[in-house]
Amino acid sequence: MKITKLGEFEELVLLTVAALQADAYGVEIKRELERRLDETLSVGSIQSALKRMEEKGFLKSAFGETTQKRGGKRKRIYTTTSYGHRILADMKDVRAGLWESINAKVALG
Amino acid sequence: MGVDKRKGGIGLNSMSVKKSTDRDMTQPEGVAPPRWPLNLLRYFVKREYIEEIEGDMEEIFHDNVERLSPRKASRLYTWEVLKLFRPTLLKNLSGLPTANQYPMFKNYFKTAIRGLMKTPMTSFINVVGLSIALGICVFAYTFARWTISTDQFHKNKDEVFLVTFNSHRDGTMQQYGQTPRPLGVMLKSDFANIKKMCRVEDRNVVMKHEDKVFHERVRFTDPEFLDMFTFPLKWGTPSSLSDINSIVLSERMAIKYFGAENPLGQSILVKFDKDNGKAFKVVGVAATFPKSRTISFDFLVNVENLSTAEPGYDFNDWKALVHATLIQVDDASSAKAIEGAMDKYRKFQNQAVDEDLAISSFKLEPLATLHEASEHIKDDISRSSHDNYLSVIFLSVIAVFLLALACINYINIAIVSAAKRLKEIGVRKTIGASRTMVVVQFLTENIVITFFALIIGVILGITIFIPGFEQLWHFNMGFTFTDAALWIYLPSILLFTAIASGIYPAFYVSRFEVINILKGSVQFGKKNPVTKLFLGIQLVLACIFITSAVMFSQNSTYLASRSWGYNQDAVLYIEVPDLPAFEKISAVMTSNSNVQSLSGSHNHVGVNNSAVVVKVDAVQHAVDQLAVDAQYFTTLGIPLQQGRVFRDRVESDKQSVVVNESFVGTMGWEQPIGQIFKIDTIQYDVIGVVSDFHNYSFNDKVTPMLFTVANREDYHFLSMRVRAGSEKDTYAVLQAQWAKLFPENPFQGGYQEDVWGNYFTEIWIHAMVWKVFGFIAVLLATLGLYGLMTLNVTGRVREFSIRKVLGAGIKNIAAIITREYAVLFAVALLIGAPVSYILAKMLMDFAYAYHVPVTYSVASISVVVLILVLFVTAFTQIRKVVKSNPVNGLKME
Repeated sequence: MKITKLGEFEELVLLTVAALQADAYGVEIKRELERRLDETLSVGSIQSALKRMEEKGFLKSAFGETTQKRGGKRKRIYTTTSYGHRILADMKDVRAGLWESINAKVALG
Repeated sequence: MGVDKRKGGIGLNSMSVKKSTDRDMTQPEGVAPPRWPLNLLRYFVKREYIEEIEGDMEEIFHDNVERLSPRKASRLYTWEVLKLFRPTLLKNLSGLPTANQYPMFKNYFKTAIRGLMKTPMTSFINVVGLSIALGICVFAYTFARWTISTDQFHKNKDEVFLVTFNSHRDGTMQQYGQTPRPLGVMLKSDFANIKKMCRVEDRNVVMKHEDKVFHERVRFTDPEFLDMFTFPLKWGTPSSLSDINSIVLSERMAIKYFGAENPLGQSILVKFDKDNGKAFKVVGVAATFPKSRTISFDFLVNVENLSTAEPGYDFNDWKALVHATLIQVDDASSAKAIEGAMDKYRKFQNQAVDEDLAISSFKLEPLATLHEASEHIKDDISRSSHDNYLSVIFLSVIAVFLLALACINYINIAIVSAAKRLKEIGVRKTIGASRTMVVVQFLTENIVITFFALIIGVILGITIFIPGFEQLWHFNMGFTFTDAALWIYLPSILLFTAIASGIYPAFYVSRFEVINILKGSVQFGKKNPVTKLFLGIQLVLACIFITSAVMFSQNSTYLASRSWGYNQDAVLYIEVPDLPAFEKISAVMTSNSNVQSLSGSHNHVGVNNSAVVVKVDAVQHAVDQLAVDAQYFTTLGIPLQQGRVFRDRVESDKQSVVVNESFVGTMGWEQPIGQIFKIDTIQYDVIGVVSDFHNYSFNDKVTPMLFTVANREDYHFLSMRVRAGSEKDTYAVLQAQWAKLFPENPFQGGYQEDVWGNYFTEIWIHAMVWKVFGFIAVLLATLGLYGLMTLNVTGRVREFSIRKVLGAGIKNIAAIITREYAVLFAVALLIGAPVSYILAKMLMDFAYAYHVPVTYSVASISVVVLILVLFVTAFTQIRKVVKSNPVNGLKME
């Protein structure tokens, strides 16, 4: 597999978008990741990751509904493209393969 | 969040159309994100992202408002906006013609450097002046930083609180840092949100390890002390303090007793009093304490040891106080609630003690700000940082003034030498430079110059000013380049200085019309009234600095020779543990022929006194008390004004007092002898009045005080007057005798003239610091004056040449050169002298309780100095003109 130029943080964001499905908009992605990573993230870091991945074609987005809290501004809902999904799956396979070989060696040693 | 989603009803499109008009109505509870960060966000973020990001930010903001305070939410919002500055999100700002500007700026830099090289004299004046001033700024910053960082290294500084109480005493409400003994334990068990608690009590002990015997102060505390305060241990574990036989040492003390080696497991003997001691095992040594702190320790032992140190010590006695009780709460915000609920303890305390000592309320003081609050808390364990904050203000004012002096030099020289730049500006304007561009060019040049000055300034700061100051005061401010705030401070001061000094010349020079410049009909620079005004301001400032410097130096000499109110020379004193020891040592010393008078006392002037409350005509006064014997007045040379002093070994004097003049003054007695008043319930007669004398240093006003007869059993000091000239010898004898008689007890005594410790050194340092500032101020003003005069004279070379050809003599030329400055000097000094006199007087009254009388002669010294400066500077120019050949002057151009 060729190198996909997907950073660690980007990968996490991408996975979160995939996991959240219809709820995947800026604030919710931030909340979900903060909960899982147990650290505070800035809007800037999430947003720039989203924009970069959209540019690279891992994500696409469309305006969604609004809420009172947002002062009338619409959400932008992100969805993974099939390309993005494939990349995620590839990464998972590579990792799984590496882990297997570690475990095999440990078992031998 | 599912709850407040808008479902149905309003379609997306209609929403986005209504967005702008609806905004204010749709905001819940009327709390809106702060205005300016929002505008910033709208300005910088790419247009297509704005709606989404602004919405996200607003949603988070409202979440935060629900969770935290609106203020905190606003702060977080602003911070988040700043973190949005990322290349992917920013608008493409290349719409602005940045690309075109680059070569222009390059050209500005080039002309700036060339300009600097071409006029070395003015560049030198500008750069030197600015760099000295900036060096002082760096120094002031370092000191401020050091002061602000006081105690901030404690990790729990916001959760740890000192328990204090307010009580109405001596006619005012006062805050006390001590606490009733049982309070700490009760607090801990009554409040679930108090996580930790420690009591602190300090005692003087004698510490002994092998042949090392010293008086020390030991801190008795709960083991939590080391958890609540951040004092990491170099060796050992903090929890071992819970063992009653263990002791923790500071690094300094570890080295004092055990050298550099790890002393863990060693034992050290602590003698609480003469026949009550206990061996402790060293279980910990603290790492070096941070530089800027108000609380630390020499030795720590478990608080339970108090019952060993003082048999019968009652931890549950509401009448007695412990030096400090500190608590650590789970969250800083719960402190208010605890403070309110603590009211129930008031009655325990108030039932136990007299009405006079009743407590009005409890108050919790956070550790983070304790060093500032400490100024107003009596008897607390923290030191106050008040004086340091005053010094920060003082140094900042000085730094700003010096910077102003240097900037004025720059401005003046720039205006006067602007004529040389006229053609350049004319050409630039013709080619198409706008006025703004000329202003920008001049400011750029200024930034270049200030940048050089700043580099030199920083070097001056860290090699001269900071180490010099640290050496004077024997401390270390811990200057470091890794301090992030420094890298905000330096560029800010660079910009500020560059703009402050450059903005006026830039606008001044850029305002002339091209046509006039090139026609040569513009005459300017030489007669600019602003130059005169600025020079005048400089002179006034310099005058103030010189006056202060002279004032403080005079004061230093004056205070050194000021009478203490008694004769402190040739008096020695020594602390004794008890009466038998007193009798042994006094027997030895009485037989010494050098000793002229010897007395025993419970207290000692300048070292130790008691405080008592006296009741005169039902009014209470807190006064100092010294319990002494009959010879004490002779020994110390305290002059008697009226009546008599105590008689030797007469029981009837047990209820007699001798008071000082202030005492008589405060009571308003016409006839003090025979007056009667009460201390507690016992009645005392006034038998004598002594002159006012300084019990404390000149920093404090003399306050009312009284002498009583000391019981022999209470003798704690032995003092003696020795034959003048024999002080050193007698002191050596005293030390030797003591060591022979009491090898187990450390010698603790000294010369009476040393009891004020560093006081005179401090006064001397004040004078020293002022002399430096005064010198710098004069130097800057001189540089400026020199620069102005030189430029003025150089610009008038032809005029002077013609005058010389026509026969003008040295007198005539000198008059012409000096005339305009003489008038200016006269005006400036007429203003400067009275102003500096008034300011110096204010400063003195503020800084010292007693100081040298401020007279006009001080201000006149600075006038003389400045006139001298004028003459010397003028002389260099006159000499140049007189020596020059007029033919060369006329041949120019």
